Amino acid sequence: MSAETLTWLAEKAWFIRAFEGAIARAADAGEVPGLVHLSNGAELLELAVAHALKPGLDQVTGSHRSHGIALSLGVDPYGLACEILGREGGLSSGLGGTQHLIAPESGLLGSNGIVGGQVPLALGAALSAKTLGTGGIAVAYFGDGAANQGAVLESLNLASALKLPVLFVCENNGLGQSTASSYAAGGVSLLGRARSFGLAADHVDGTDVVEAIKVADRLASWVRSAGSPAFLEASVPRLSGHYHGDAETYRGNGAGPTDPFDRLPKLLADRDVPEGLVAEMKARAEAEAERVVAKATQAADVSDKALQRYLKEAGA
Amino acid sequence: MTKLSLRDALNRAHHQIMSADDTVVVIGEDILGGSGVDGGQELGGVFGVTAGLAARFGEARVIDTPISETAFVGMATGAAMTGLKPIVEVMFCDFMGVCFDQIMNQAAKARFLSDGRFDLPLTIRTTMGAGDGSAAMHSQSIYGLLATVPGLVVACPSTPADAAGILKAAVAAKGPVVLMEHKGLYGEMGVVDEALPPVPLGKGRVVREGADVTIVAVSAFVNRAVEAADLLNAEGIEAEVIDPRTIKPLDLPLILESVKKTGRLLVAAEDAAFGGFADAVISAVSRAAFSDLRAAPAAITPPDAPVPYGRKAEAVWLPGTDEIVAAASALATA
Repeated sequence: MSAETLTWLAEKAWFIRAFEGAIARAADAGEVPGLVHLSNGAELLELAVAHALKPGLDQVTGSHRSHGIALSLGVDPYGLACEILGREGGLSSGLGGTQHLIAPESGLLGSNGIVGGQVPLALGAALSAKTLGTGGIAVAYFGDGAANQGAVLESLNLASALKLPVLFVCENNGLGQSTASSYAAGGVSLLGRARSFGLAADHVDGTDVVEAIKVADRLASWVRSAGSPAFLEASVPRLSGHYHGDAETYRGNGAGPTDPFDRLPKLLADRDVPEGLVAEMKARAEAEAERVVAKATQAADVSDKALQRYLKEAGA
Repeated sequence: MTKLSLRDALNRAHHQIMSADDTVVVIGEDILGGSGVDGGQELGGVFGVTAGLAARFGEARVIDTPISETAFVGMATGAAMTGLKPIVEVMFCDFMGVCFDQIMNQAAKARFLSDGRFDLPLTIRTTMGAGDGSAAMHSQSIYGLLATVPGLVVACPSTPADAAGILKAAVAAKGPVVLMEHKGLYGEMGVVDEALPPVPLGKGRVVREGADVTIVAVSAFVNRAVEAADLLNAEGIEAEVIDPRTIKPLDLPLILESVKKTGRLLVAAEDAAFGGFADAVISAVSRAAFSDLRAAPAAITPPDAPVPYGRKAEAVWLPGTDEIVAAASALATA
C-alpha cells in the first residue's frame, strides 16, 4: 500500500474513531435519544471496502452498527451526527435515527434495525445495477449474528442463483449481542457456508489494513467484472460493547480485544510518513470530529415538524 | 403479599412455573447470555426477565439461540406439538416481522388443522412500546395486528400481578398465547400475592369506577388513564377505567356493562391508528350496544406513522395523559 493511500485511510480512521467518541460523550450528556452501537474496531476494514467502491455507482446496506460505514463512504459527518442526535440537518431530519441511516447519494442505501434485514435490500440494488447496466455493484454488510438469519442465508442463495453483482461483507466480531459466534454458528466456518452456495469467498483479518485493502479490492473487482456475488468474512474486534453503555459482564475476565489502530504508527513509519505529520493529521481529525458533533448538539430538534410533514403527505 | 417490579414478578413466575413442571423450557436470544463466552456472568435476557433460570434449571431447559427467529419460534411451535411447554422470547415484537410465518401460519393454525388432536401449549413473550428513543424497528406495539390472526390469544398486562398471572395462565393454556410486555413498565412496582396466582385469559379488570365515561386502556396506557381520571375528577367528570388485560379474547361483557352505565366510550391504545385494537373495540361496542351510546365513541392512538426517533417527534407521536383528558372531557360533554 502506498504512503498516500495509507495516510488517507489513517486520517479517515482517526476521524471515525473520534466521531464515535464524541457521539458517546454526547450520549452520556443526554443528547442522544436512543442507544448507539459504535463502530470502534471495524474502521480500517470498512475503509478498505469503501476504497474498493465507485462513488456514485455502488450502493451499500448496513446493520444497526453503521456509523463508521456511513463515514467510510463519505456521508456528510454533520448530517450523520444530526441524525444520530435527532436534530435539524440530520439525514432524515431525525425521523430515522442511529439505526436507520439513509444516504443513497453517498452510496449508503440504508442501515437497519432488524438483524439481517438489510441484506436482501442489497440484492435489490445489485439487481437494479445489473438490469439498468450501470456497472455498479452492491455491498451488504452484516455481522456474524446475522449470518444465522434466514433472510441472509436465502440472500446468499438468491444472489448466486440470479448471478447478482453483490459483495457480502460479514464482519465477524465473535459476538451477536452477548452470545458467542462459536456457540451460535453451526458448521465449520461462515466461509464454508458461502462457498457451499457457490460464492467466491475469502477471509481477511480486518485489523490488517494492508491485507484488507488487497482482498476487498480483489473481491469487489471480481464482482464488478464477473457480475457474480462474492463473500468476504472479516475478523474485526468489537471494542465498545454491543451498545455504548453495555457493561459486558458476560465477557469474562480474559484479555480484551486488541485495537487494530495499534498497528498504524509502524505502518506509517515504514512508509516514511514523518511522525510530525502523523500527529498533526490525528489532531486535525480529532478536532474536526469534535467540532462536527459539538455543532450538531447545538442544532434544534425539528423532528416533530418532520413527522407532521410525513402525516400531511400520507393524508393521515 | 409483597411488592415487586413487573420484571421481578415475571422472573419469579418463570422460576415457579419451571420448578412445577419439567416440560417447560425457555427459548430465546440472550435469555441466558454469554453463551459460548468463557467466564462471564449471565445476562438473563436484555431486560433481566429470565435471570437465574439457567443456573437453577440448566442449559438444557434454558436455551440461548442464534439470531434466527424463524427457526427458533418454529422449533418452539413444533416442541409444543410434541410434549414440551415452551416459553419463547422474541426480544422485540418488531422482530416478529422476521418470523411471522411461524406465528401466523404454523403456531396459530396448528390446533385447527389437527382438529384438536394436539394441544399447542406455546407461550410467546415479547416486548413492545415507544418512549425510549428506540425508533421505528424497536418500539412498535402490534397487539391489534396479532389479534387479527385466528388461533392466537394476545395479552397485554399492565401490573406485576397481572403479568405474572397471565404468564402462568398462558403456559397452562391449550393454544398459543402471545404475552406482550411494555418496555416502559418493567420497573413498575405493584403488590402481588407471593404465590403469583394465574389470571384467567379473557378477563378484564375495572381499575377505577366512574359513571360518566368509560376509558378502555391497554398496557402502559392504563396508568395514564388513571392519571387522566384523577384530572377529570377535578372537572366533575367520573371516568371508569377498564384494563382488558387480554386483547383477544376480549372481555366484551365487562366493557358493555360499563358503557351501559356511562353511554360514552374512549379507547386508549398504543397500537395501530387504523384497524387496530381501538377500532376493534369501538366496532364491537357499536354493534352490540349502539342504543346505549350517548356520543360517538372516540380513540386515542398514535398517528398512522412509524415510531419516530427524534425526541420531539416521539413525544408528538405518543399520546399522553393530556390527550386522554381532552378526549374524555369532550366525550362527557358531548
